[in-house]
Parts: sequence; structure tokens; C-alpha cells
Amino acid sequence: PLFYKGWYHLFYQYNPDAAVWGHIVWGHAVSKDLIHWLHLPLAMAADQWYDKNGVWTGSATILHDGKIVMLYTGSTTEGVQVQNLAYPADQYDPLLVHWVKYPRNPVLVPPPGIGPNDFRDPTTAWLTSEGKWRITIGSKINKTGIALVYDTTDFINYEMLDGLLHAVPGTGMWECVDFFPVSETENNGLETSINGPGVKHVVKASLDDDRHDYYAIGTYNDRNGTWIPDRPNIDVGIGLRYDYGIYYAAKTFYDQNKKRRVLWGWIGESDSEAADVKKGWASVQSIPRTILFDKKTGTHLLQWPVEEIDSLRLKGKEFNQVRIQAGSVVPLDIDSATQLDIIAEFKIDSDALKKATGSSDASFDCSTSGGAAERGALGPFGLLVLADSRLSEQTPVYFYMTKGSDGNLKTFFCNDQSRSSKASDVNKHIYGSLVPVLRGENLSIRILVDHSIIESFGQGGRTVITSRVYPTKAIYGAAKVFLFNNATELNVTASLKIWQMNSAFIQPYPNL
Amino acid sequence: MNNTISLTLLHLAFCFTLVSFTPISALELHGTGANMVETTCQKTPFYNLCVSALKSDPRSSGADVAGLAQIGADKLKAKATATLRQITALLKVAKDPKLKMALRDCADYYNAIVKYDIPVAVEAVTKGDPKFGVEGATDAANEADACARGFKNQPKFPIYASNKVVHDLSAVVASIVQLLL
Repeated sequence: PLFYKGWYHLFYQYNPDAAVWGHIVWGHAVSKDLIHWLHLPLAMAADQWYDKNGVWTGSATILHDGKIVMLYTGSTTEGVQVQNLAYPADQYDPLLVHWVKYPRNPVLVPPPGIGPNDFRDPTTAWLTSEGKWRITIGSKINKTGIALVYDTTDFINYEMLDGLLHAVPGTGMWECVDFFPVSETENNGLETSINGPGVKHVVKASLDDDRHDYYAIGTYNDRNGTWIPDRPNIDVGIGLRYDYGIYYAAKTFYDQNKKRRVLWGWIGESDSEAADVKKGWASVQSIPRTILFDKKTGTHLLQWPVEEIDSLRLKGKEFNQVRIQAGSVVPLDIDSATQLDIIAEFKIDSDALKKATGSSDASFDCSTSGGAAERGALGPFGLLVLADSRLSEQTPVYFYMTKGSDGNLKTFFCNDQSRSSKASDVNKHIYGSLVPVLRGENLSIRILVDHSIIESFGQGGRTVITSRVYPTKAIYGAAKVFLFNNATELNVTASLKIWQMNSAFIQPYPNL
Repeated sequence: MNNTISLTLLHLAFCFTLVSFTPISALELHGTGANMVETTCQKTPFYNLCVSALKSDPRSSGADVAGLAQIGADKLKAKATATLRQITALLKVAKDPKLKMALRDCADYYNAIVKYDIPVAVEAVTKGDPKFGVEGATDAANEADACARGFKNQPKFPIYASNKVVHDLSAVVASIVQLLL
């Protein structure tokens, strides 16, 4: 992804032949506002020996003179993963329709000791203090996930650094590695080469083994091209995730237009491939999210839908101080409930929190719990989306609080698919994670509902969950929203605003 | 170095002795190919099915894990295609509307298995991004499950046996491809 001459570009992995993985080439779309898109012709096809078996993930770097270079992974005719260089055929074309591959590709092949299938997804380059460009490429050695580092001046010749950017045992192959700076103090994104005081660096990896995206915040050493996490116990691959639902292969880019770092992510399907084939499509991109360092916790990143999404808001309705007694469901009277933007805040009675008895069984986990039907003293409570009026189908997005024997409160943010649909061939798991809640903070949720896609943001984006649900009854006019409180010892008060969301029409390329 | 040489000599001596007394055991000693099948199949949920499916193909001796995954996928494709033919034949003579619906659903699921799941799995393994192969093979197992569920309220499930083989073999292939991650 990149911003160039007034347009946002997205290049994405695409199979033109089927709604399943295969024959991967580069699709291309452009937008002025990250919301309304225009499809362009394929940017790159699998037409060279060095990318015949797949034109896979790559990254763009904008050079000093404003020119763009693209490094991407090709799977060769022998199935070997190599890195190739490509650039726009016409740098004056703001739509960057045509691309040229460097005639002497590949520019990088797997180095000694690295397997032919363990070398992919080069990052955007950043400048070193010596003025060279530096990139990192994910790989693995046995079961240790690693990030290799290369320096270059021309994107054609590279020198591999002796050391690794970082490695974490037991995490397996690191795909789609991303490396970028965040400001500890400012509320804007940082250009990829920025370094210095008040700057931390994030290393992110998509773990091949479990299909989840993990990140860690730490410190970058420019001299030897290494990075160490602030908290090794939540290192890359064993700690925080961008998203606790179905969200993978994410990557950021620096948007120099609005000075923000924007995150793109792939939301797959959780229905069957037979269903995907029948409906004729599969996979979506998430609404782009801005990424900021969470100054309040110092341990998390904050993700939030880009502000341009607000332009899709139509009618809004406010609900103030709705009291939800323990064990109750409150319907919210809005018209259509399949395309929504919900911003909700929950106040809980602090006396009830103090009175609750702590339990030494502090082993709650959203995914192994009984979902929204499992009643605890201090949870679950939240919203039911894509629910029908009889609640025969519902997807709860909620908080669940626990109190340890030491009196400490923990808050979990979950998304329960177990009753999301009567269909039997869809994923019914419960997603979620711990969400840090600081003293004085109310509990807050933002949810973007879009038919079969739910993107939920807890505590301003500290913990995010994306899910795909496929209701059979809670669809179109029959879909409703409810507040619910299934806790036994807690009354909750909710204030929220719900907007109907317009559709963003995606244009096909004319004359195609 | 010395240890390796003496071990090799020991191994040869052992082989010679066995050849004279138990020819069958000597064959077993030879096959790193056979061992590869056994050790790989131990990591799948259906060991016996895995071993018999892979060994029935002569390519399995000397194949690496990726090769075994391919062989497994080929066997799965053959079995799924045959089962799809069974379903089509049953559909022709079926009269009961509920039975026809269950069979038609199964035909859809098996179409997905043969046309999409298995080719995706094979392509993912050959092109070097095996996790999509795990997904494809797992989906095939799920499709077989869905087919079986459609017969829950039916008095008879005519393709029970072959559907079970397709389900179990899909799980086997998924486990083998998982080893490539």
C-alpha cells in the first residue's frame, strides 16, 4: 500500500481464477479517501520464471526523489522463494497502472542456511544513519522465527548483515514481517526512517503456524541492525496480537498525506470453501486502521478505523444512560442493523466491583469459556449484533470482568460466534483477550457491522477483534441490535450512538 | 568418524545375517522410504489408513514429506471422485425428496472437494506456501462432515463408508501438510 500523487494505492494478493487460494497475482485498486475505491487492471501477473508460481507479498519504498521501487517475493518455476524488483512503467502516471519488472531479477535468493520455502515478504526500506537503505525479510531456522536484514544503495545489490533483526524460538516461520517507528509522545504516525529519542520501534510478524499477527514494541539499534523488545515475556509471536479474531498478513504504510501510519489487514472467510465457491468470492480487506503508541499503558498499540469511515455515516441515534439490570436484554430501536457504526460506553457500579468476591480460579479465557451464555458475577455484558428479534441468532461483543483472590480486577474483551448462525458449516469459536483498563476509564467499545464482517475495538483500540459471521435469519431487515447484561452481581449503564452506514460503491475499471 | 564406520559394518553384518534367515525382515531394514511413511503417519490422526494409503503407491518409498503429501492428495482425489460418482448414481434412482436433497448437498460438497480443496492443497505444497494446503485439506474434511450431517435424519446413509474414508484421509493429508510449515 502507498500514497502517491494524490491517490492511495492497494496492491493485494488475488486469484483471478477462483474463490480459493491459487494462481496468486497482484490486484490493484486506488482511492482518494481509503473508502471509495476504483479497481484497476492487474498490476503484475505470474509471467516470469522467477514468479511463475506466485507473485507474492511485497512492499513499496518511496525514494528521495519521490520515485517508487517495489520489492516483492516471487515463487519460481522450481518453487523457490526469491525477491524481485519492480517499478512503475510511468512515474508520471498517478494511477501507476503499468509496472515493469527489473530485467535481471531476482535481486535476492535464499542465503546459505535458509530453506527455499522460508524466505519471503520483504519490507519497506528505511534509511540507516550511513544513508543506506535497509530491509528485513522473515524466515525461520528450525522452529525459530527470524528476521534477516539486508542493506542496499540501489535495490539491486544487497549485503546481508551478519546478525538478525530479531529471533524468537518456537514461533516458526515469520511471514509478512513489518518494522516501523512509533512516537511515544505525538499523535501522528512516523515516516519509516525516523529514529531518535521519543521513538520506539515495532516488530510485527505473521506466524505461519497459527495464522495470527503478533507485534512487540522495543528499541532499534541502527548500528548493528538489531532490535530488542521492551518486555521479552511478550516478545514477537508470544505476546500481543494486532487482532484476536480472523485477521492476518497485515502490513502498515506511512501515509505522508495525513501524517499517519495506516494498517491494512486480510480478513479471510470462516465459512466453507464450498460456500465461497457458490457465492463466487472470498476474503475482504479490513477498514484501514491508524496505528498509534498507547501512551497510557505504554505496552500496547492503539488501532482505530481511519477517520474517513465517518463519511459513510447516515442517520445516527443516541441512547443515553440505558440501565441494563443483571440478567437482561434491552432492544435498541434502530431501523436497519446490517451496516452500522456503534460507539458505546459502559459504566459499572464500583460498589458492586468492591463487593464481588475474588476467586483464586483466575484462568478465564474467552476462547475456552462458555461465551456470552456463561454467567459470571461481573460479566458478560455488552452488545448483541446481527441478532434476530427472537435471538435465535446473535453475535455478542462484550466485556467479562474477573476478580482475583488478591482483589485485582481483570477485564476481557470477547466476540462469541457460537450462536451467530443456524448454519452448521461456519466457524463458531469465541475470540478475545485481556484488555487493559486503567483507573478512571469507562469501558468502551466501537463496532463496525457490515453484514458478515464485524470489527470490534475495545478501550479505544487497545484490543481489537474481527470476526466473520453468516447468519441465516438475522439478515437485512430482520437484523437487530441489543444491549445485554448476563452478569449475576452487576448492573450496567450504557450510553451509545449508533449510525446507519452507507455503502461505499467500488467501481470496476472502465472498458475492462 | 570411526564410530560411523564401525556402525556401518555392524549394520552390514546384521543385514547379511538376516538375509539368510528372514528375507521379509531384510526388506523392512532397507526402507528409509518405509520408515518415512511410518514416522510421518504417526503424526496423523489415522495411522493405519495413512500407512495403507501411502504404501499402496510405489512412489512412497523414497518420498520426502512433501512427496508423501502429494501421494496422499492423489489418493484422496481418487476416493473423493469415486464417492462423487456414487452420489450421482444414487441421485438418479432416488425418489424420496428429502433423500434427494441430502444427496444433492453432498454432491455440492464433493464438487468443492474435488474441484477446489484438493487442487488448492496440491498447489500450495508445490508452490511452497503449505498453510493453504492445510486449509484446503481441512476444508475437505469439513465438507465430508457436512455431507454426513445432512443424513442425520435419514433412515440410511448409503455412502457412510466412503464418506468416512474421505473425511479421515483429508485429516491425514492436512496433518502431513502441517509438517511442512
